[in-house]
Amino acid sequence: MTETVPAPARVSVAGQRVRTAVVIVVLLIAWEVVARLITGSFVLAAPSEVAVSLVQNAGLLTRALLVTGQSAVAGFVLGNLAAIALASVAVLLPRTERSVTAVALVVFCLPLVATGPVLRVVLGPGDAPQVVLAALAVYYTTMISLLVGLRAAPSGWFDVVRSYGRGKVSALRYIRARASLPYLIAGLQIAVPAAFLGAMVGEFTGAESGLGVLTIRASRDLDIQLTWALATVATVVSVIAYVVIGAIGRRFVTETPPIILAPARPRASPGRRTRSALWTAGVVLVVIVVLWWGGIIVTGLNPFFARTPIDVALILSGAEDGGAVRDELLSALAETAALAVPGYLAGLAAGAGAAMLVVLVPQVAGITMPLAIALRAVPIVTTAPLVVLLLGRGTLGGITLVAIMVFFPTFIACLYGLRQAPGQALDVLRSYAAPGRTQLARVRIPAMLPAFFAAARMSVPAAVLAVTVVEWIATGTGIGSLMALAASRSGYDTLAGAVVLVTALSAVGYAAIGAIESRVLRVYAPEQQT
Amino acid sequence: MAADAGTDGGGVVDPGRAPAVEISGVTKVFPGGLEAIAPLTLTLEPGRTTALVGPSGCGKSTLLRLIAGLDEPTDGSLLIAGAAPAAVAERGQLAVAFQDPSLLPWRTVRGNIALPLSLTRAPIDAEAIDHLITLVGLDGFGHVRPAALSGGMRQRAAIARALVTRPRLLLLDEPFGAVDELTRQDLVAELPPLWRQRGTTTVLVTHSIAEAARIADRIIVFSPRPARIVADVAVDLPHPRTPTVSRSTAFLSVIDRVTDALARSRGNDHASRP
Repeated sequence: MTETVPAPARVSVAGQRVRTAVVIVVLLIAWEVVARLITGSFVLAAPSEVAVSLVQNAGLLTRALLVTGQSAVAGFVLGNLAAIALASVAVLLPRTERSVTAVALVVFCLPLVATGPVLRVVLGPGDAPQVVLAALAVYYTTMISLLVGLRAAPSGWFDVVRSYGRGKVSALRYIRARASLPYLIAGLQIAVPAAFLGAMVGEFTGAESGLGVLTIRASRDLDIQLTWALATVATVVSVIAYVVIGAIGRRFVTETPPIILAPARPRASPGRRTRSALWTAGVVLVVIVVLWWGGIIVTGLNPFFARTPIDVALILSGAEDGGAVRDELLSALAETAALAVPGYLAGLAAGAGAAMLVVLVPQVAGITMPLAIALRAVPIVTTAPLVVLLLGRGTLGGITLVAIMVFFPTFIACLYGLRQAPGQALDVLRSYAAPGRTQLARVRIPAMLPAFFAAARMSVPAAVLAVTVVEWIATGTGIGSLMALAASRSGYDTLAGAVVLVTALSAVGYAAIGAIESRVLRVYAPEQQT
Repeated sequence: MAADAGTDGGGVVDPGRAPAVEISGVTKVFPGGLEAIAPLTLTLEPGRTTALVGPSGCGKSTLLRLIAGLDEPTDGSLLIAGAAPAAVAERGQLAVAFQDPSLLPWRTVRGNIALPLSLTRAPIDAEAIDHLITLVGLDGFGHVRPAALSGGMRQRAAIARALVTRPRLLLLDEPFGAVDELTRQDLVAELPPLWRQRGTTTVLVTHSIAEAARIADRIIVFSPRPARIVADVAVDLPHPRTPTVSRSTAFLSVIDRVTDALARSRGNDHASRP
């Protein structure tokens, strides 16, 4: 076997599209057959039934889509503007970069399940909570894309600007802004489903109309057809928006939009690494406390539900209630970990494994890659009710949803990483007629590691989001359910404690993966460790 | 990095006159201890073309970056007409043609050549740009993006970009490295008269001794790293240096002297090793 490199470039774009279309049709037929076989089990709606439901509920769905779409668009615009502003600050004032990205990460780790009800209380019954949640769901990924893009220029270009005595502002205007465009477009594409997801989660918290409201209602009424129809609508709209943004991007940008996996590892000399990490952590803590406490003071939030950092410290230390709330939180967290950790690991393993399989069987690669890219456009949490339908409200359903949430980004990142394998190194192995699996083990997997770890890091907040949402709307266990219950019963001590714990654990998990990554990459990809 | 704000204007090059470059006791040691330039003292006369010749990696390009104000010397002083390089750069009075053309891929050839005018907030002179495009032999490629050009064509566009602001000090780092031989001969014949007529002080880094002898008024030969001057050869030949001139005994004697100096510097280097 000498030809193991998937070579999508040799397949024409049109040919690839036809193949993808064929695969989709085959999948639809298989779905129809399976659904017909297990009909009456209240699990799977056949495509034909979904189509009927779509037609029957066309008016209802359109109205809901307009409501959700409006919130999603508003959140998309606000979140991405915030991302552009934050990334520009980080580039113009490089000293602030580590702190800006770290604070942005912590805010991104805030569990939407808890921020949703809190925003509902603070902002009232309108669409403001949906908009804010949509903005919160998109800004981080766009900011990371942009930060990579704003640096994606060779130093020679900056020398030209500097040789005319111009500084950072000119470099931003003439070089960085334009060089980052493909990255911005890639970020915006990923932001589309995220905005939809944020808006729908916002609606779960008690909006009056919208796709999120209908999803909750259909799920409760065991209206299988409508549940599937809703997921279809959310998916189709996201995919269309994803494709449209890509098409608009191609009009302005000739470069191929890159696949952004995660922020570049922060640079620090070895001696200073610990000190600079501690310094950043300190700055982040101060900024968070200022934002938190300042937010309470500025908005004049009612002390009935507002909790200051000191309040939360007292709650978590058990100083006031003998630790009742803390113990409740910790036992809920243990339940959550039982879903989140296996789901996260399963998702990583399945994503990396599927990517390797695709590389070993190049015939499927041409079809899988576009399909996988398209699947990024699916707001995965909207499929939560479907997974619950299929696998029940128990542990398996929860673990599966987390795994699905982690699977897609990992799969795409690993596939991308495997493709990054240096051609010359592969040629050396091929010149000794090394079989495909040897090439995989010796060259491709090491080349894949940076992408794999980038996906693993970015999947931590995604897994937390998935597990809290599935606990909330399905399993009724763990911290997600506890937060939702606390919000509905005005248990603001519990809610505040849960938010702090979940956010802190997400950030710690992210940092822990980053630490493992550093150790592994030091061996396998030292060039990534600048 | 310099800020975008203007300077106090002190010590700025008189736009009507070419500047001298005064280098005294300049050294450059990179972080990690790599010594690129040993203490170097050198004056480049205004309006003249000086070629810097030396083995690969000897520090010529580093010196050029110091003159351009892109890097700071570790020690010593470097003044352009009495002013710091950064101040001269801020006035748009110097220009560099880099070894790597560094064209912006989203701008056309014309857009890339116009970039320095935007950077220095000068009006875009379409006619001057057309003239430069013709001069570097890129007629008909003005609207083309760099990706569609050959390496040599990109380098020529970069040279045109360096000339567009009519700099008083022109720094050329291997400007013809990727250009094919015939085009190179054309450029060597046509470009130097342009900057000589404008009275530009020019510094040319090159590997080609013949090119240095064709273009320069003075050739400075450097030792292997850290760069020290091993020879300073005046090229007292009339301009333009036509093929007839370049077959003259005087021309060949310049080539010989530079070649000898280079060989000596390498020999000395070997001899000095234990």
